[in-house]
Amino acid sequence: MRLLALAVRALKETYRDPLALGFLLGFPLMFMLIFGAIFSGDELPSFAVGVVDQDNTMVSQAFAEQALPMVPVLKITTYDDTDTALKDLKFGELNAFIVIPPGFGQQVSSNWQGAKADIVLNMTYDESDVMISEQLITIINEVTRAFARVEVPVTVNALPIHVENKIDYIDFIGPGIITFGLLILIPTSARTIVRDKEKGFLSRLLTTPTHPVDFILGYSLSNVAITIAQIIIFIFGAWAMGMDIIGNLGLAFLIFFLTGLCSVGIGMVIASLSRSENQAEPLAWLFSMPLAMLSGCWFSVEMMPSYIRNIAFAFPYAHTIEAARGVLIRGVGLEAVGADFLFLVGWAVVIFAIGIILFRRSMRS
Amino acid sequence: MTSPNDDFAIQTLSLSRKFGDLTAVDGIDLGIKKGELFALLGPNGAGKTTTINMLCCLLKPTSGTARIMGYDVLRQPYRVKEIIGVSPQETVISERLNSRENLELIGRTHGIEAAELKTRSQELLKTMGLEARAKDQVRKFSGGMKRRLNIMMALVHNPRVVFLDEPTLGLDPQARRAIWEYIIRLKKEKTILLTTHYMDEADFLADRIGIMDEGKIAALGTVRELKNSLLEKQTMVIQAQDLNPQAVAKIRAKYAEVEATGDTMVISDKQLSFQEIVDLLHDSGVAIRSAYFKEPTLEDVFLQITGKELRE
Repeated sequence: MRLLALAVRALKETYRDPLALGFLLGFPLMFMLIFGAIFSGDELPSFAVGVVDQDNTMVSQAFAEQALPMVPVLKITTYDDTDTALKDLKFGELNAFIVIPPGFGQQVSSNWQGAKADIVLNMTYDESDVMISEQLITIINEVTRAFARVEVPVTVNALPIHVENKIDYIDFIGPGIITFGLLILIPTSARTIVRDKEKGFLSRLLTTPTHPVDFILGYSLSNVAITIAQIIIFIFGAWAMGMDIIGNLGLAFLIFFLTGLCSVGIGMVIASLSRSENQAEPLAWLFSMPLAMLSGCWFSVEMMPSYIRNIAFAFPYAHTIEAARGVLIRGVGLEAVGADFLFLVGWAVVIFAIGIILFRRSMRS
Repeated sequence: MTSPNDDFAIQTLSLSRKFGDLTAVDGIDLGIKKGELFALLGPNGAGKTTTINMLCCLLKPTSGTARIMGYDVLRQPYRVKEIIGVSPQETVISERLNSRENLELIGRTHGIEAAELKTRSQELLKTMGLEARAKDQVRKFSGGMKRRLNIMMALVHNPRVVFLDEPTLGLDPQARRAIWEYIIRLKKEKTILLTTHYMDEADFLADRIGIMDEGKIAALGTVRELKNSLLEKQTMVIQAQDLNPQAVAKIRAKYAEVEATGDTMVISDKQLSFQEIVDLLHDSGVAIRSAYFKEPTLEDVFLQITGKELRE
């Protein structure tokens, strides 16, 4: 079959090119490794502790903002409410958080004046981390005693919670980096097509009974094969680096696959609009790198201003990351990511249609 | 404008192509017989490649049309594409495939069965001397080898009509010779249209030559016919000792163009008498070492017809 012959040829041109292969697979995996290493908190000798000041007195503020940060092993972050602190604990960004209950300041003040008062702190931590909790209780206890100048131990109410499948950094970043890998398909697929156009390969094949549609399907088929290989390798890579896979792997695969199709389609559009590799390459990168950043491949989109988020969510990749995170690390099903899923299907269909029209037009002389 | 004729393998009918204001091909009428090797000779930019591109359905004519084995390039492009083989001017091969895979790719686009394709590519690799390197990726090939593969890819599906656009462009003499010998073997079996801007290539290979200049066929004929058209003027070259001024003056009095430099004298006129020239020189005490009539070259023909030299 003609288109199969073309697809196999395009595939060979890619997988026999170490540079292209390294780019498609090595680049994202390298990112995964680097990000994983930078942000894995395991080796840090300190404890990330959140503080929620419900007392809001001069004394409690002095405790939270001056006393606690003086302890070298503590990395203190202050929170306005317990919900946010709890979320960060679940995402593994905190080892524990302390709630300073109302009345804390008054108790400490009376202690300073010589009266014996009960000083109470509430500490929430992940019970799965036994070592941390014991050390932390001791540390907090000592700091507080020193601060309040009391001889007897203060009461630290330990409130262990069980964080089920604690989300660590690799879980969070995994889907983003996989999506980044699929974004790289834009320049690589555009490059294959434009190179053939520029070097006269397309023209040569147009002197054979090959129809334009054979090319389009041939390239697409080859890129689909590359996409599938990419997804499998990336998911496996992320898993090997410690990403938890809780949800339906098939659904996650489908989400990534649709994203890959979108990239191939965008690549086809860019290839049709460019005359040479020198034109297509920067165009593709100019498009895909900012998009990777905006879509949240490396950073959370939560922090971005809303107009930027709106731009990001006009393209498939932010939807992919959100849906894939939901499925992979929170274990949600199609009902929860349905809107994102439909968006991806629509995008893939439309961009492919545009790609085919533009590609056919660019082949007419 | 001539009428369609099925005796021709390739026939152009007032074939024209414009690119904006530039007329690249200007209404050419050409008939190439079945089994003929026809060379389009002309400088770069004469319109040779544009002509080929229209004949193999890559480029639509602005006006006029062409027929390949009776099929119209405008109305039946896919019938045409089935029976032609094209070797483009630039080497167009798939760099990371090996030579066999490249051949088989073209074969498969022509719908040739796997078994037959295997035999044919094997044969081709053998005749072109690439058999030993059949499994190497072609990006490692030398220029000559790539060029040979480029031609083989036009032949793997056994086409009836073959277009070779500058088949030996940029090759060293040895590699050119190898390709020429292969093209000679293809003659008779296939109809071949070859473009070149090398005189010796057209001279060596072609049954008939069309000299193309500024989009038009300026002259057409066999190598012999084209050269004979210049025979109205004869040229004699003489090597002699003691070529004294008196002797030169005597010759000048008799013939139109006389050039003497050192020991060499070149004489041109409509009619030259070998005996008379030799006698005249002899009487003036000149000792002749050699004297001969010079054959016109295609270069001379080209110069005469177009008024310019072929740029290499």
